[in-house]
Amino acid sequence: MTGVTGTVLGYGLAVPGARTAADLLTMSVGEHPAVDPAALIGRKGLRYKDRATQLALCAAGDALTDAGLTGGEDGTGVPGDDIAVVVSSNLGNVDTVCRVTSEIAAGGSVAISAMDIPNASSNVTAAEVAIRYGLRGPNLTFCNGGTSGLDAIYWALVLLATGRAQRALVIGVEPDNAQTRALTGHDRILDGAAAVVLGRPGAGGRARVSLPVRAPDTASCAAQLDAHGTPGVWFPPERSTMVGPLVFDLWSAHGAASGAAGVMQCVAALGWLETARPGPVYAMVSGAEASAAVAVAR
Amino acid sequence: MLSLPITGTGAVASIGHDPAEIFANLCAGHGGRSALRGFDAGRFGAQHLFEIDDRPAPGIDEPGRATRFLLDAVAQAATDAGLGEDLSRIPIVVGTGLRELRSAELWWRDGTPFDADRLAFGPALRERFGALDTWTMSNACSASLYALACGADLIELGLAEVVVVAGVDVVTESMFGLSDRVQRQPPGHVLPFDARRRGTILGEGAAAVVLRREARPGDRVHGRLRGVGVNCDAHHATAPDLAGVTGAIRQAHDRAGVTPDEIDLIIAHGTGTPLNDRAEASATAEVFGVAAGRPLITGIKSLTGHTSGSAGVLSLVVALRALAEGVVPPIANLTEPLAEGAGLRLAMGAVVPHHGVTAQVNGFGFGGVNAVAVVGAA
Repeated sequence: MTGVTGTVLGYGLAVPGARTAADLLTMSVGEHPAVDPAALIGRKGLRYKDRATQLALCAAGDALTDAGLTGGEDGTGVPGDDIAVVVSSNLGNVDTVCRVTSEIAAGGSVAISAMDIPNASSNVTAAEVAIRYGLRGPNLTFCNGGTSGLDAIYWALVLLATGRAQRALVIGVEPDNAQTRALTGHDRILDGAAAVVLGRPGAGGRARVSLPVRAPDTASCAAQLDAHGTPGVWFPPERSTMVGPLVFDLWSAHGAASGAAGVMQCVAALGWLETARPGPVYAMVSGAEASAAVAVAR
Repeated sequence: MLSLPITGTGAVASIGHDPAEIFANLCAGHGGRSALRGFDAGRFGAQHLFEIDDRPAPGIDEPGRATRFLLDAVAQAATDAGLGEDLSRIPIVVGTGLRELRSAELWWRDGTPFDADRLAFGPALRERFGALDTWTMSNACSASLYALACGADLIELGLAEVVVVAGVDVVTESMFGLSDRVQRQPPGHVLPFDARRRGTILGEGAAAVVLRREARPGDRVHGRLRGVGVNCDAHHATAPDLAGVTGAIRQAHDRAGVTPDEIDLIIAHGTGTPLNDRAEASATAEVFGVAAGRPLITGIKSLTGHTSGSAGVLSLVVALRALAEGVVPPIANLTEPLAEGAGLRLAMGAVVPHHGVTAQVNGFGFGGVNAVAVVGAA
């Protein structure tokens, strides 16, 4: 184990059917109304933003407020210069990229809109979050496959440990649309965002989060968490075959969460711990090349 | 202060298959600009890019090229560093602007088979090198210098002894088309820091370096990483902001423990766009103050094109060679420096003999993501 850990200072959700962390543990399987960003944060500033960015802006705003940060200089004493943004998304701008390609095939570059330029770059979501909330610290976007959400947590903790930031806003987001469904082969994608604000150990907060570990397979990944004690519950990866009394499946109520999964698990862990259920919470995500896991505890 | 030996380098671009060839062509003024190789020219105003010439036939594109270039650059750097092809215990941080989105475009438009897992480079790095701790970071045009900051942080925190940092990008049709949409008069050539500049031209490339905590006996040390500054403008989706850019440069100097008058060479971001070059020149003048005329400033994009996420580490590899060889390639195509460049020492015309020991490398990207590295000679 390394000494690199952190604390969760706040969270936000823009997930169909879940407003609070505890909702993620109790929501029913089935259709829930889509998140309406304009209803949550107003129409201003949403025009031309892609769906992933709109969802992320909603979750980010809630997380910052929950953590007592409203961006920029404020009463918490943490200036925007010291707040990092770390986004995880695999599919975020696939819709724009595919649509623009079709438009070029149909009518050449004269037929496309310059308003799509920011959305053609995969870091658009992190950039727009920084702009809206005045966050001028390091700004990172991980598109790292199935482990990406916990990878974002990992790098947020690294940024805090090296002093590059005092707070890190971590957002996992995936949009549901024709392009992302076709590309992944899933019949439904999350169409939501989850966010946490992390600080250094000792900064107070809702829970402690360990530095995520990576391993080639789920068993060796799980073994690396042993030092954190016997888990109160396991949140398994999506489409996992893990079963047992300690396994709680978060995923049946949602579309494929992909790059949002690891961050959603951390939010769900807060719900678990704050409803007085036993910890620590172990959570794991899996990608094509590796699995990653984290321990969240009081 | 940080001083991490760089023990391996690798690169591929339109002007060369390895760092030596790329540096020789930069010094000779040979550029990689050519007529469109993978796109249907009839759909675009601009007719040129700086593509790597590896397609099976003219006008025929294929998926997986970004992955191929990345694996090439990483293999070069790993071999150079004496690591061989087994990187199972070595973290690899990859910065990219556009990942494998070109493959997704071909899948969407033409039905070319493509697996969503391959948008990220982890699966291919595991297959080829057995690598497990791999991260694909998509940070626009400063991505590989952002990755460099991350790689250095791993060593600083004791999470790794050796790290591979890489950058890669090929040109996506969506980004090329959108760039074409707003540059209604195609720029024709890239003219960094020139008053006549009209925009940038995209290019393709990959670059990689191996960082270590300590050099081993027998390691060939190309130079030392002194520090990397990273921040975000939080200002505009595509336009740079002077405060953010100056902040990143100052942060890099602070982390490296150097003052502006200790910087001998700057490899500028220098895209040839009106906005970038004005902001970069102004920021340099502001940060360097009375020393603004001291460092020699060059840039590579007039000959390599704007290679997006790979540009930063590609420039860093060039900086290391310039420090090692004592010569600096000039900014090709530059003849009439921009007004904001008055007082700066822009490298023009011929190759400049130069015996500096400390270089600064700039990378600025869409979304205001800034990353600036300071490297020292071996």
